[in-house]
Amino acid sequence: MNTLVKLEIKRTLRNKKFMFFTVLYPSALYLLIAGGAKTSETIGDTHLSLPVLFMVSMASFGALTAVLMGNSERIAKEREKGWVRQLRLTSLPGRGYVAAKIASAAVVTLPSIIVVFLVAVMVKGVRLDAAWQWIALTVAIWAGSIVFAALGVAIGYLATGDAVRPITMIIYFGLSVLGGLWMPTATFPQWLQNIADWMPTHAYAGLGQAIELGNAPHTKDIALLAVYLVLFAGAAAWLYRKDTRKA
Amino acid sequence: MTTSAIELTGDGRHGTGAPVVSFGNVNKSYGSVHAVRELDFQLFPGETVALLGPNGAGKSSTLDLLLGLRNADSGTVEVFGTSPQQAIVRGKVGAMLQSGGLMEDVTVREIVRLACDLHPRAYPAEQVMETAGITEIADRMVNKLSGGQEQRVRFALATAGPNELIVLDEPTTGMDVTVRQAFWGAMREQAQAGRTVLFATHYLEEADAIADRVIVLHRGRVLADGSAAEIKAKAGARRIVFDLEGHIDERTLRGLPCLAAVEVSGRTVRIQSHDADATVHALYGLGLYPRNLEVAGLGLEQAFIAITDAATAEEGGDR
Ligand SMILES: Nc1ncnc2c1ncn2[C@@H]1O[C@H](COP(=O)(O)OP(=O)(O)OP(=O)(O)O)[C@@H](O)[C@H]1O
Ligand SMILES: [Mg+2]
Repeated sequence: MNTLVKLEIKRTLRNKKFMFFTVLYPSALYLLIAGGAKTSETIGDTHLSLPVLFMVSMASFGALTAVLMGNSERIAKEREKGWVRQLRLTSLPGRGYVAAKIASAAVVTLPSIIVVFLVAVMVKGVRLDAAWQWIALTVAIWAGSIVFAALGVAIGYLATGDAVRPITMIIYFGLSVLGGLWMPTATFPQWLQNIADWMPTHAYAGLGQAIELGNAPHTKDIALLAVYLVLFAGAAAWLYRKDTRKA
Repeated sequence: MTTSAIELTGDGRHGTGAPVVSFGNVNKSYGSVHAVRELDFQLFPGETVALLGPNGAGKSSTLDLLLGLRNADSGTVEVFGTSPQQAIVRGKVGAMLQSGGLMEDVTVREIVRLACDLHPRAYPAEQVMETAGITEIADRMVNKLSGGQEQRVRFALATAGPNELIVLDEPTTGMDVTVRQAFWGAMREQAQAGRTVLFATHYLEEADAIADRVIVLHRGRVLADGSAAEIKAKAGARRIVFDLEGHIDERTLRGLPCLAAVEVSGRTVRIQSHDADATVHALYGLGLYPRNLEVAGLGLEQAFIAITDAATAEEGGDR
């Protein structure tokens, strides 16, 4: 099983095109969105500037994009080609497959997060109050992305062929908007806010927002993400073992 | 069941021991396509069995059911007395699928190591590659191999450990003649080591040369089950070939008893007969003097065509 995890990581790193785009895409998006914003302007009653806010949300959003899109499509393709059928003829347990896919996704997200931070510091002159915040942000955003990597695996198992991309897109945009990764959920009507509160993306964004304000992440957010992780990973492992359809 | 399914296998031949594979009245449909119908057979330790049938006969579906890649609609599938999944997890089954894609962006050595790592009783990876004849291409990327090389990698994955049952779905597709021979050589070694081998094929010569038991599948049903010789006998016909001097009257020849087919080309007459003795006797009775007379069994190929054609006619061509 360890061989599979290592091999999945290795082949992800070998896929230069995929690495290039997923690592650089969030930074490019960050520059596009935060490009005109000034570091001196603060928002509301916080002392945070737009560039800081966008830095955290783009790092999260970028990590989410990479793991969700990358995993679901690659897995759907592997099923189509029959590799997953071959793998099911080994003693590999379902969780081994899911773990390997999550590990290879995590390899991509870490550099993508760090590059966004570097760009923010160097281009927009972003500063945080304390050094621990940088580390905490990196760890929180990285660890949080694992939840969505698991979701990506599950989607790759539910959808087949041409349907994967649109389905992933719908889930991806739905989760991003509802979770407030694009705009603060405070602008939503009350009923929508109630829904948003329970979204994994909302909890995910909440981790970064708490840390950038100098607080510890909310327990509710962490607990919610943990529940979603178990749910998604469990579903993915179950689907892997149960998959008796040929794509 | 139709009357055409005849159990040809004698009792004594299977040896002893619990069955390796046991299908009990298995059915499988895809929507309106009834791919596998009332399939009922057992494989015993050490047998080399060919699953023979035309396109769409249900060979791959049968193997998928056997490997637990699909679930039967009804009936039972047991492998080593347990579910297919359990047998696989215990490392008792190795398989080469017809549509088995390989992992991309990895080398041959890496994928073989992976297979060995995932096998509970694996051989060393280098040995597995040696046996499969892929040591020279060990450092090549898997997605850049030729069709035949890819097949050999699949074979390596199927033999990563001492699997007691080896299942192969049209394994020699894409292999050239030399590689094909080497492949069956390796397969015979497996059989000689006491492993049970089940392979699906269209190549009748393969079934004839390698298998000690042939199961003929047609439209999801078992049409015949026995040794290659028995299958040929089941088709009933034997081939009679001789030369005739002087004028050959085809009409007279067609009047011979027990005929299945007559073909005249030049001086040579080829006859398929259900009872060669009676036909030859009548031939002399006509006052003819056949030269170079030869009586032989049909090739498996002709036998196979005879059997499946008869079944198709019987079913009236409907599904
Ligand atoms: N996923 C599927 N969905 C619908 N029908 C299917 C599917 N797979 C197979 N079939 C149908 O089931 C029947 C048996 O197919 P199967 O693949 O088992 O045949 P086969 O004997 O392996 O043929 P071949 O020699 O071409 O490989 C065929 O009529 C085929 O069209
Ligand atoms: Mg087939």
